[in-house]
Amino acid sequence: MLGKLDWSAIPFDQPIPLIAGGVVLAGILAVLIWVVVKGHLPYLWHEWITSVDHKRIGAMYILLASVMLLRGGSDAIMMRIQQAIAYQSQGYLPPEHYNQIFSAHGTIMIFFVAMPFVIGLMNLVVPLQLGVRDVAFPTLNSVGFWLTATGALLVNLSLVIGEFARTGWLAFPPLSELSYSPGVGVDYYAWSLQISGVGTLVAGINLVTTVLKLRTKGMNYLRMPMFCWTTLASNLLIVAAFPILTATLAMLLLDRYLGFHFFTNEAGGNVMMFMNLIWAWGHPEVYILVLPAFGIYSEVVSTFSSKPLFGYRSMVLATMAICIISFMVWLHHFFTMGAGPDVNAIFGIASMIIAVPTGVKIYNWLFTMYGGRIRFATPMLWSVGFMVTFIIGGLTGVLVAVPPADFMLHNSMFLVAHFHNVIIGGVLFAAFAGFEYWFPKAFGFRLDERWGKVGFWFTFVGFWVTFMPLYIVGMLGMTRRMQHYDVAEWRPWMLVAAFGMLLLTIGVLAQITQVVVSVRNRDALRDRTGDPWDGRSLEWATSSPPPVFNFAFYPDVRGEDAYWALKQHAKEQQLGDHPGPEYQDIEMPRNSPTGFVCAFFATVMGFALIWHIWWMVILGGVGAFATFVVFAWRDHDEYVIPAAEVERIDRINIEERRSLVSMAGAV
Amino acid sequence: MSDQTHMHVEHDLAPGEEEQHSVGERILGYVVGLGLALLLTATSFFIAGTNLVWQPSIPVALIVLAIAQMGVHLVFFLHITTGPDNTNNVLALAFGLLIVFLVVGGTVWIMAHLNQNMPPMDQFIRMHS
Repeated sequence: MLGKLDWSAIPFDQPIPLIAGGVVLAGILAVLIWVVVKGHLPYLWHEWITSVDHKRIGAMYILLASVMLLRGGSDAIMMRIQQAIAYQSQGYLPPEHYNQIFSAHGTIMIFFVAMPFVIGLMNLVVPLQLGVRDVAFPTLNSVGFWLTATGALLVNLSLVIGEFARTGWLAFPPLSELSYSPGVGVDYYAWSLQISGVGTLVAGINLVTTVLKLRTKGMNYLRMPMFCWTTLASNLLIVAAFPILTATLAMLLLDRYLGFHFFTNEAGGNVMMFMNLIWAWGHPEVYILVLPAFGIYSEVVSTFSSKPLFGYRSMVLATMAICIISFMVWLHHFFTMGAGPDVNAIFGIASMIIAVPTGVKIYNWLFTMYGGRIRFATPMLWSVGFMVTFIIGGLTGVLVAVPPADFMLHNSMFLVAHFHNVIIGGVLFAAFAGFEYWFPKAFGFRLDERWGKVGFWFTFVGFWVTFMPLYIVGMLGMTRRMQHYDVAEWRPWMLVAAFGMLLLTIGVLAQITQVVVSVRNRDALRDRTGDPWDGRSLEWATSSPPPVFNFAFYPDVRGEDAYWALKQHAKEQQLGDHPGPEYQDIEMPRNSPTGFVCAFFATVMGFALIWHIWWMVILGGVGAFATFVVFAWRDHDEYVIPAAEVERIDRINIEERRSLVSMAGAV
Repeated sequence: MSDQTHMHVEHDLAPGEEEQHSVGERILGYVVGLGLALLLTATSFFIAGTNLVWQPSIPVALIVLAIAQMGVHLVFFLHITTGPDNTNNVLALAFGLLIVFLVVGGTVWIMAHLNQNMPPMDQFIRMHS
């Protein structure tokens, strides 16, 4: 009846996950009760859960990523404490638990923090920057988000029901095969990634279509803001690369569930094929994350230097070059697997070549700042912090792209330091920069600068204190994923790294404080003009938060930095009397619970697949399919906002702006 | 958002979207496509089992027929043309082909080289016996 599921799945003998799970469960219950008692449930349902508004979906993606950042961060804290005290002792985490923690940390940070954060920002900003009213497929967008949330839910469920994989974040066979991992851990891993992978693919298709097909008048390709270009490149990579991940994990699941032999040791399976395929996805994945990050830095650096982006066209070229070359380097993740010098040399050289367009970008940002009037607001601090940090990460990357050096450093802590250097210094800093930069646009008030700066400095310094020691212990021969060790030389560095983790934790707490403080002072921090940073692209041309239709009129774009040009024009004309434009009815897509209901059934199905509860698998599968059939047969999918209502909303915004420009004129 | 779909400067068709053709013309297109596809399939089966052609050329012939089959599908069913309204589709196809070429070609190359640094198996067994 319940497959493999029984009471032994609950880890009553392990206090740490049980207490952690209990606290989280109590927290969720408390929030739910608060929502129901206060009567917020209808609001939540109509305005958020069923929303197909790209801005709302983007905000929910970012919320999901932030919550999961706390979970993944807790894993990181536990690992740093373990390695700090596990010198000639077992530490406080038994090996099987420690192995689950590092596997969960990697999986969560990549799939459920970095990915949703980046996709959330793209969702929120790209339609606004393109000057349009929505993404290409609004309901599909909602489905994508909720399927990602399903994956995150399943991963967290493994904390209290069963176990998570002990195989590392990519579940290499043969360890992840049934003979060595008979438990449900790998199944939790694989099914949550399969389900959230569908969500990611859907988001990718949606955003590619949006950039290619929905642009306002005059917004041709070479007038798009840089963030739109990097979004295009990144989502092209999603569409091309995620099917490889899905296929690879499907083969692993066939091995585990139906006795196939794709990656087993026996019966002609080939373990190396798994490494090859998973990294054919895995390397483009790195650029899926970091390209939008580059786009965010481009926007921030240009805005806060009050200058157009230096070398816009070379930046476009560099982005598209990275998009293609990222599919030519994947072997550098397994130089040591046995390939001959031809193969290793070619992939090593390709890996070094990909650093060239990245270097072009760094110079472009520097020259954008050069001669500009730089304002060091929090987003700019993150961007400058990124440039300093990322160069070190990039250089150690070029170092391990040299096969002989890689033979020494493979699987060492040096590697751990390298990829944290580029992912934290590249992607996470960008996520924070984008969060600070676009928060006023999304919610209508700015974030508290003082706490933002505290958060930045603790995170920035904390990063260096945590990860530079890991480079050093890597050089001293420490391999990754060690539950305990006996080498005296490593110990002091592990203690330093643990102290750095403390600083990082304070940084995170400061950022949480920042949000709380800002929400309390939201009236003082209110952004009335829609343009708090003196921005240059079209998202600042509408109010904060934007109305559901984004723009009452499609902006007419005449060049790069579309909004900047509009503002200059308005100032020259001493603000124009708008020639009383004719407002028109606007059709917007109706909200739909399709995404939520689909994800509910996907959760049921995923859970049932993990525990081999076959009747429930059928139930979930049929339910998810039925949901989309119902959606496909809908009669009304749009509603009309009457012209008068559009006019009323737009007039408020125009009045605010008029006062801004006349004030600027007076100065 | 009906006004949004009409506002692009360059009008661009999605796969499956038709230009203003009459129903008769469209049906004719599909029938021709179906006929060609069936012809190519039948030829493949015929070639595989025949003695009429030089035997080693059969695999080559099958590959050529398979590629022609793909072409027929692209032209008659997916409506990939070289017209200016089709740029996105052609670019998407080219990108897809490039990625498939890189991943499949790279995989074959990598997997063929994996054992290069290993001694031949008989030598290996002798060493350890």
